[in-house]
Amino acid sequence: MKSYILKRILLGVVVLFGVILITFFLTRVIPSNPAAQWAGSRATPAQIQKARIELGLDKPIYVQFEKYVVDLFHGNLGTSLRTKQPVLKELETYLPPTIELVFWSTIMAVLIGIPLGLNSARKKDHALDHFCRFFSVGAVSLPTFWVALFLQLIFYRKLGILPLGGQLDTKMNILYNVPHNTGLLLLDSLLSGQIPVFLNAAKHIILPAVTIALYPMGLVARMTRSSLLEILEEDYIKAARSYGIKERFIIWRYALKNSMGTTVTVLALSIGYTLTNTFLVEAIFSWPGIGNYISTAVVSLDYPAIMGVTLFSACAYILLNLIADIIISFDPRVRV
Amino acid sequence: MKNKICFLAVFMMILSLFTGCGGSSSDSGGSSDGNDVAYYAYNSEPILNWDPSVEFSNGVIVLNNVYETLLRFNPTTKKYDYVLATSYKKSSDGLVWTFKLRKGVKFHDGTTMTADAVKYSIERTQKKEVGASYIWAPVKEIKAIDDYTVQFTLNYAAPLDMIASCPYAAFIISPKVKDKPDNWLEQGNEDGTGPYKLSSNKMGDEVVLSKFNDYWKGWNGKHFSKAVIKKTSETSSRRQMVEKGDADITNNLPAEDVKALKSSQNVKVDIEPSFTNLVAFFNTKKAPLDNEKVREALTYAFPYENAVKYAAGGLAKQSTGVIPVGMWGHGDSLTKYSLNLDKAKSLLKEAGINEGQLKLSLTYMSGDESEKKTAELYKSELSKIGVNLEVRAMPWESQWQQAKGTDIQSRQDILMMYWWPDISSPYSWAYNLFHSEKNPLYNLAYYSNSQYDQLVDDGYKMSSTNIEEAENKFIDAQKILLKDNPAVFIYDKEDAWITNSSLGGFKANSAYPLVVFFYDCYRK
Repeated sequence: MKSYILKRILLGVVVLFGVILITFFLTRVIPSNPAAQWAGSRATPAQIQKARIELGLDKPIYVQFEKYVVDLFHGNLGTSLRTKQPVLKELETYLPPTIELVFWSTIMAVLIGIPLGLNSARKKDHALDHFCRFFSVGAVSLPTFWVALFLQLIFYRKLGILPLGGQLDTKMNILYNVPHNTGLLLLDSLLSGQIPVFLNAAKHIILPAVTIALYPMGLVARMTRSSLLEILEEDYIKAARSYGIKERFIIWRYALKNSMGTTVTVLALSIGYTLTNTFLVEAIFSWPGIGNYISTAVVSLDYPAIMGVTLFSACAYILLNLIADIIISFDPRVRV
Repeated sequence: MKNKICFLAVFMMILSLFTGCGGSSSDSGGSSDGNDVAYYAYNSEPILNWDPSVEFSNGVIVLNNVYETLLRFNPTTKKYDYVLATSYKKSSDGLVWTFKLRKGVKFHDGTTMTADAVKYSIERTQKKEVGASYIWAPVKEIKAIDDYTVQFTLNYAAPLDMIASCPYAAFIISPKVKDKPDNWLEQGNEDGTGPYKLSSNKMGDEVVLSKFNDYWKGWNGKHFSKAVIKKTSETSSRRQMVEKGDADITNNLPAEDVKALKSSQNVKVDIEPSFTNLVAFFNTKKAPLDNEKVREALTYAFPYENAVKYAAGGLAKQSTGVIPVGMWGHGDSLTKYSLNLDKAKSLLKEAGINEGQLKLSLTYMSGDESEKKTAELYKSELSKIGVNLEVRAMPWESQWQQAKGTDIQSRQDILMMYWWPDISSPYSWAYNLFHSEKNPLYNLAYYSNSQYDQLVDDGYKMSSTNIEEAENKFIDAQKILLKDNPAVFIYDKEDAWITNSSLGGFKANSAYPLVVFFYDCYRK
């Protein structure tokens, strides 16, 4: 197992290097003028030239790449052309809200998707099964932006029971000392005992988390149902039933465990995808996460920010796939 | 079954806990415990660079509440209101300006504003040489005559009152900043004299300002004690927030929303000139656009009405000349072109261009929907007279880089862009966009006319001594442009300000783009 993990990590490093290399050169090839962006709007030619030298753009491209890689080893992801802030500091600001959002939406997807898929498999061709299949298809096909706007319309506009967007009511910032330790607002507020802040933040995360959770929820429900249907026909399940073992025990102890392989892999990929594709949801809910940051960076060709986000995205995918593979490796049927 | 009931009961308890607790669901500026908090739902980042000597973008909506300038332009009177200055005079040759400063003004760090602070602030801005620091180019020397008198000596006559009222790069900063690290301001700190100081800042998302108790105007009467500017990029969210009272003010909503909101009881819609206009520059150095008749033909082929109606959603007025409506120097009686395809065809024929012969390229900034629609409308009209227009969306930096390319033939034929002023003067448009340039910067028609240049230079010099005469110069300059047609002057954009009915005191000032002066506002 140890050698397996080590091999995967080394492979991950190679993949990461490849991603950095390709992204670096791609951002240099795209027609843009980073020096003009750095110098600001209405910069004079002298200001742009000064910016060019300041950014090291007057040097050969391989020298620029070498500097970038050396800086990376020192934890320096460069400075955003648009905001003039260190990219690492910006990632530290924008990532935690997205991680928090994706975490809770994944929890929701798993807590609802798995039981839904499980019961759908148990009650095949019954009403619940039909509902589950209809729900799964609907959940993965409904456009995210439509779901977001619809939820806002119902819960904010019509019912007035949930907020429109943001992480907190503005007055929370004014009335309370909102903690910022990990950047995960729910965790920080709970740990510092700021219960009103915690509850307010929890209310704010409901709608965006539900919106994001829908797709993986549908996916998980469907995958769980399909895998379980196969496993429930296996001989050892029939044998267990014939021994008089309770059905609940058979499902949860034997069948579900064996059906999780594909679901875990798909869920890991879905998390990785969601982490860097939340910009629509974040834009609609004014959620201060990485999605908004990425979309602005791409549109404004802020290549240090693009590089930073690409690096994070690649690391996230590698890590998530590794975790998924490790989980699956606990299955004795899988040779590691 | 029992488990299901338990699960449902627990779920309902959790739901009621969330919906019942943690305050109301509204971020209300209008709720009973939010009466003294103003909420501005803004469509982009409130501020990216906190350095007032450098910031040349959105951030002025924050900085104009935290810092102050010596003077402030009043678009109603078209004169300058005193802010940190109480009076000023200039020498007869316009080269020496003396400002008397207001006494008893404190910075947020508690120190008193003196002439040294003014000298420090402007010299600091000049030295930075970034952003809008170029506005201080005419200033040769700044002297603190005494604690409350500051004297500027200029290299050449220039309207220093206009410069001192600029929404960018004209802020007065506490000299204590020089004892801090170089990037202290940039990292999200401030030290101004404005009515509000920074309370909290979530970079790129939200800024909370709270009242500065020692503000020189005092806090008698109705004022907000706090102001929040929050990024809310989704237009439907901003609309709903203002309608419900969760936000007090917003702008940049689509025209359809503005139209619908005009009949709403909960909000007020104010349409104001924005000092931003859309211009399409012809490459006057590239055949056949170097031919005046061809340019005139293309000017007659432009769909002005449709651009205002469909591209700007009705929130614009067709331009007359390059100076937009609301700015002095604007000429309502100047030539106003209208779509006339027959005239366009005959002019092209006179220029020796047959139908189907002319192929042109137009560039505009990608992501801008109004520019995209305008370009497509123009393409459609030109196709009716046999002109093939290739329309290309590009990021601004790329568009600009192509326009400044050394090979004239590789530059675009037509470049479309918005312009908004750096200083509140017709000079900003007249000089930047059409004054002769050795190397192209913003004169992207590459236009050169010495008579025009002279009129603009004279207008600038006269701006502070004889504004009526200066206005005549700028109008005469525009008459030349309307004869030579180096560009199509498309429309002057309007800003639609949407305010909740509980907000009082708000008055838009187009010279300070999208700025809400919170001190002047109050809860009704």
